[in-house]
Amino acid sequence: MNSALRLEAVSAGYRDRTVLDNFSLDVEKGTMLGILGPNGAGKTTLFKVLSGLLVPRSGSVSLFGQPVARLAPAERARLVAVVPQELDIPVAYTVQDVVMMGRTTSLSRWGQPSAGDRQIVERAMVYTDVADIRDRPITELSGGERQRAIVALALAQEPRMILMDEATSHLDLNHRLEIMQLVERLNQENGVTVLLISHDLQLASEFCRRLVLLDGGRIVADGRPNSVLTEENLRRVYRCAVRVHEDAETGGLSILPAPRLPAARVGHGIGVHVVAGGGCGEDVLRRLTLCGYTVTCGVLNRGDLDAEVAAALGLETALEQPFSPVGESAREAARQLAAKADAIVLTSVPFGPGNMANLDLLEAMRAAGKPVLIMQGIETRDYTPDRAAVRRVAELITRGATPWRDLADLLARLPAAASHPAAVLQEPKRRQLQCFPKSRTSGTCPHQA
Amino acid sequence: MKPTTPVPRQTRQARMFWLVLGLTPVILGLCVLMGAAGIGLPDWTTQPVILRLRLTRVLAGFLIGAALSCAGVVLQAILRNPLAEPYVLGVSSGAGLGAAVAILTGFSALGAFSVPLCSFILAVLTLLTVYRLAGPGGSRPSVFGLILSGVMVSSVCSSLLMFLVSVAPIEGMHSVIWWTLGNLEVTSESLLAVGGGLSAAGCLAIWALSPELNAITLGHEMAHHLGVRVKVMVAVALGLATLITAASVAVAGLIGFVGLLVPHVMRTLVGPDHRRLVPAAALGGGAFLAICDAVARTALNVEIPVGVVTAFIGGPFFLFLLHRRRKAGGME
Repeated sequence: MNSALRLEAVSAGYRDRTVLDNFSLDVEKGTMLGILGPNGAGKTTLFKVLSGLLVPRSGSVSLFGQPVARLAPAERARLVAVVPQELDIPVAYTVQDVVMMGRTTSLSRWGQPSAGDRQIVERAMVYTDVADIRDRPITELSGGERQRAIVALALAQEPRMILMDEATSHLDLNHRLEIMQLVERLNQENGVTVLLISHDLQLASEFCRRLVLLDGGRIVADGRPNSVLTEENLRRVYRCAVRVHEDAETGGLSILPAPRLPAARVGHGIGVHVVAGGGCGEDVLRRLTLCGYTVTCGVLNRGDLDAEVAAALGLETALEQPFSPVGESAREAARQLAAKADAIVLTSVPFGPGNMANLDLLEAMRAAGKPVLIMQGIETRDYTPDRAAVRRVAELITRGATPWRDLADLLARLPAAASHPAAVLQEPKRRQLQCFPKSRTSGTCPHQA
Repeated sequence: MKPTTPVPRQTRQARMFWLVLGLTPVILGLCVLMGAAGIGLPDWTTQPVILRLRLTRVLAGFLIGAALSCAGVVLQAILRNPLAEPYVLGVSSGAGLGAAVAILTGFSALGAFSVPLCSFILAVLTLLTVYRLAGPGGSRPSVFGLILSGVMVSSVCSSLLMFLVSVAPIEGMHSVIWWTLGNLEVTSESLLAVGGGLSAAGCLAIWALSPELNAITLGHEMAHHLGVRVKVMVAVALGLATLITAASVAVAGLIGFVGLLVPHVMRTLVGPDHRRLVPAAALGGGAFLAICDAVARTALNVEIPVGVVTAFIGGPFFLFLLHRRRKAGGME
């Protein structure tokens, strides 16, 4: 038996909600595994199942070949220890008191702790470098010291597996690194299997040889960091665009949210015509203008929220009288504006009989060979009596229009200027993040260097 | 050589523990010496009854003080809050109502166990009710919720008790009122034997649970990870705390705040580790109640109920703690 952990077809959840559905995972002994995913992906539920806090509805969970359901609590505590994100300790135990609680199941009830227990606690404190502060009340420690003491508590259980539940997320960079290095050392020197939940993708990719990416209670990707943390996977799971960069020197990955990148004028010299209305186009108009696109807009009714934004941004706009259906002259004005543009964007504008003319405009532009980008979810905003807008949009998409999801997605799909200034701007950011992998190869913390 | 190294906290706390252990018999001895006629032993040959009365009274004070203090320690550990206490949570009033029912219905005539049993049943019901009312739908109740529902349930129990007293035969009334204020005058030595015996056994059992109580103060989930059977342990510990509270109330009536004040003081003296805190709280609680009783017996020409003395010291102390915690912002 070489597996530290095996879940087979596990379904688990809470009273009215199934979080993990038919979930299977196999982790080899001695692995350092990172479990990633957005909030609600099932990471915490997975940990609760592993630590026996939550009994799965079906399927089997075994730790080191033993089914979790049949483990006595004391046996389980000797196999698995948990380091939580933050432990709220209401009374002023000393560090040593707290670490001694790792021996709860073996402590004698009345007498002094046995020599064996004392030695284990001593070793755990030395290993985590809290031996010097053993006499301090835990309530008076700094975040980093406190978390080291909690790791010592976990070590005192002498576990074969440690679950780190976002154990470093509230620490600053150097203490985060300190804890991770401590755990990595345990993993490498003592062969302790480590599972860690983290929202810090970079940190996880740095320390774990295997990553599991979860979404909606399922495994989306599983494997080496560079095969799991791809832009495509992350976009799918986190529903926002990110940029992954592999450092040629260290092999470390740096991950940046992409929406921050095209702040530069990538749209310089490119025209975009936006079909909006009722305020739904505000963000699109503003962002595209910021990105340097030459934005035009229409058809909008005068007094419409989007018309006001367009006016404020100084955009050329095809306008119709307030509360009127789109007439011939406005339609022609919009057609002329759109004809000058390089791409047409449809925002989340609701459709009724009055503004169906805008869909004619889109169809005409598509036929003219211009890229047409349509915001997803037309079903929810079609107020025409016969669902005509849904049908028309579906037609447009089958004929080559592109659906888009959010601003980052839209920006990624729009044509960009030939010389991409973002690449230049991105450079200093990337360097800052590199201090992380470099400091590790030299084996010191940044604050010590 | 380092100049004047401060004494390590662990060592200091261990020393304090031995000090508490050593001082307790001295204090109890002094309490025996204190009488209405001044300090001194009553003449063994001429007044054997008085000496015997004083001895049983100090013994009762010691056992009941120990029990109430230990019950406070358990409730504070499990609810993870230093403001929890049997009196504040209404457990004492529930137990009192049970005892009054037993006395007034004549159920108490069935034997020395009957009053503590009745107290225990109602105390358990009260604790469950308070817990239920404090937290909506199984979530962990907030401290304010617990205190508030504790006070409410407690006053309902008290008014039920008063109702029973007012419809009961008139001659029982004075003793019941005295008893609701706390009274260590032992009316029945067999009741003291049963109540005191249960209390002592309960305290020892609680002491045996120290490692688990320690783990539970880190939170129920963390205790689970440390290998504690949390649900079983919480039920057993709460059961024991309720049992010794009920036993004490059956013997001596409602004595408040011992379980709040003593554990708090002991925690600062011997540290929060339950392996040391439980015995220290038991000894300290016993000594504290014995002193309070000695004061109640001798301070004025008339005897005052001991519950009045403890409430007089404990009430302001409770408010002080509440105020300090609210200022610290760590209430939830």
